[in-house]
Amino acid sequence: MAERPQILAGARNLGRDETGDSPAARLARLREGDTVTARLFRFDPTADAAPRFETYRVPYTKWMRVLEVLTYVSEDLGGDLAHRWFCANRMCGTCAVRVNGREVLACWEPVEPEMTIEPLRNAPIVRDLVIDRSGYERRVLDLTPWLERREPYAGFPEPLAHPAMAPADKALDCISCMCCFSACPVVGLGDETNFAGPAPLVQLARVALDPRDGIDRGRIALERGAVFDCVSCYKCEEVCPVSIPIVTGAIEPLKALAFKSMARKSRHARVFLAIVRARGRIDPSALILGVQRLAALRHPLRVLKLWRRGKIDPLKTLFGFRLPDIAQIRQVFAAVRGGRP
Amino acid sequence: MRFAYYPGCSAQSTCKELNAATHVVAANLGLELIELPSAGCTGSRELRAIDPDLFLALNARLLALAEANGLPLMTVCNTCTLNFLDVNKILAEEPERLAAVNAILAKQGLHYRGTTRVSHFLWVLLEDIGEARLRERVVRRLAGLRVAAFYGCHITRPPAHFGFVDSRNARSIERINEILGCESIDYSGRTECCGFHTAAHEEKIAIKLTGRHIKSARDNGAAAIVTPCPLCHTVLDTFQDQMERDLGTKLGMPILHLPQLVGLAIGLPPAQLGVAHHMVPVDLAFS
Repeated sequence: MAERPQILAGARNLGRDETGDSPAARLARLREGDTVTARLFRFDPTADAAPRFETYRVPYTKWMRVLEVLTYVSEDLGGDLAHRWFCANRMCGTCAVRVNGREVLACWEPVEPEMTIEPLRNAPIVRDLVIDRSGYERRVLDLTPWLERREPYAGFPEPLAHPAMAPADKALDCISCMCCFSACPVVGLGDETNFAGPAPLVQLARVALDPRDGIDRGRIALERGAVFDCVSCYKCEEVCPVSIPIVTGAIEPLKALAFKSMARKSRHARVFLAIVRARGRIDPSALILGVQRLAALRHPLRVLKLWRRGKIDPLKTLFGFRLPDIAQIRQVFAAVRGGRP
Repeated sequence: MRFAYYPGCSAQSTCKELNAATHVVAANLGLELIELPSAGCTGSRELRAIDPDLFLALNARLLALAEANGLPLMTVCNTCTLNFLDVNKILAEEPERLAAVNAILAKQGLHYRGTTRVSHFLWVLLEDIGEARLRERVVRRLAGLRVAAFYGCHITRPPAHFGFVDSRNARSIERINEILGCESIDYSGRTECCGFHTAAHEEKIAIKLTGRHIKSARDNGAAAIVTPCPLCHTVLDTFQDQMERDLGTKLGMPILHLPQLVGLAIGLPPAQLGVAHHMVPVDLAFS
């Protein structure tokens, strides 16, 4: 077992304590008898010209969750608030909303003294906090995330070892709540990219990483999911209510499958790997040139300015440089990748 | 105070001024940087995704080089920092992978025990140099300078490493700003993504994601943005002209590397901090 590196507490989570940004601190902010102030997003696209916010005051009860506030508003205050929920137990994934700008499950999130509650982003609004999930569901279906076997079904109970299922294990926890889909900045760009979004890719990873599946899931991840358009910002992981490591446990393994299946089309990754192998480290200009080819030179004045400011060095880019210890780096490459390109 | 120093690829190519500023600021703060003799790539996001074993081995080699010198490792790049943190975590939790990596490193006379403390210049300022000492070194308070922090992603997320329920609550750069005497402004982009990791193959993502945040910083009165990451700097600075075209508005927002902002406050001349290398001119007024 490795020794653990020494970790100094402090700067890396500075702000957490001051803002009470921990589950315990969040729960401790209210006491019985207090009032919760909820600013609720209201909008009926069939009747309203624009969305508005309405403020409601709700008496706090111990362990109160956001869903109870919404229920109180719609049932006890006689409002006509539209919101969606079913299990109230972090299972069905239907009650996700944004509280103070952060995606949460209403049924699981402790209330805050003051809350602005809005619908999820990246989906049309049906009314108030209810969004139209059909666009998301189409993206999921387009990735065909169901098992397809090459080998005949072994019969029940099918022998299945825990280690073989470990890679898919976390992705199987996904409840399709769309929190990550709402938080993803690339999904937020709409038609600018073909990126399927984190939740659909988690659904794909469930089967792609399942040893029983026999389909080329790398191709699907690349061609229908644009998996390399993930910016790796971890916004999805931050809001996932069931703590799925979406980037490292779903999207990166799908990138690996995409590269394995379609190395030529995984151009960025392929060029990156080749440069590190040849030189030991990345020359960003060589990377851009390798990925974009002549298109990298489409703004010649810009390239000239980059050169004049010392941002690029065409001689180094074209004729290469190697780290002094390139032999050691290549040795690592050879030991891990063997003859693979 | 000695650190093994890992500048990363960007600080040795497109952001050479960051490397220069880090060296001169460190020297002025009494921080001795021992540059790793052959600092290869940590794999950014591409290599770690497509070959996790290679990612582990390349990073373990760097961590082992620092460990052999008995030094903690300091970076100036968010993504490299997270890569090192991830590798340390994986090797601590999975002894069989540590053994596999050490079998490769043994051919180079290296062995990694897993003890290298990984830090970033931002954290070193607060944890190792310390607020009191940094405050003492400030000879030119940047009073009147309104600065917007652009943290980037990999220094505040994922929550497993940094412990935030909401990464927008990060305050370390604002704390530095306060010590240096400048005013922090709030805006939409503090802990948002610059889109760097898709910029080589799909640069419009970076342009669309980041332009609106620079505009928000400008609209909220920022005179400059400061970032601890050269990858964010590359997008914010070198792509800014394309964001201006995309938004149809002039931004003209100077983008400072964190060591440059510190350098200005401890009295170093802007020329020594390499601001002339930026694409957007750095012309700051402070009293």
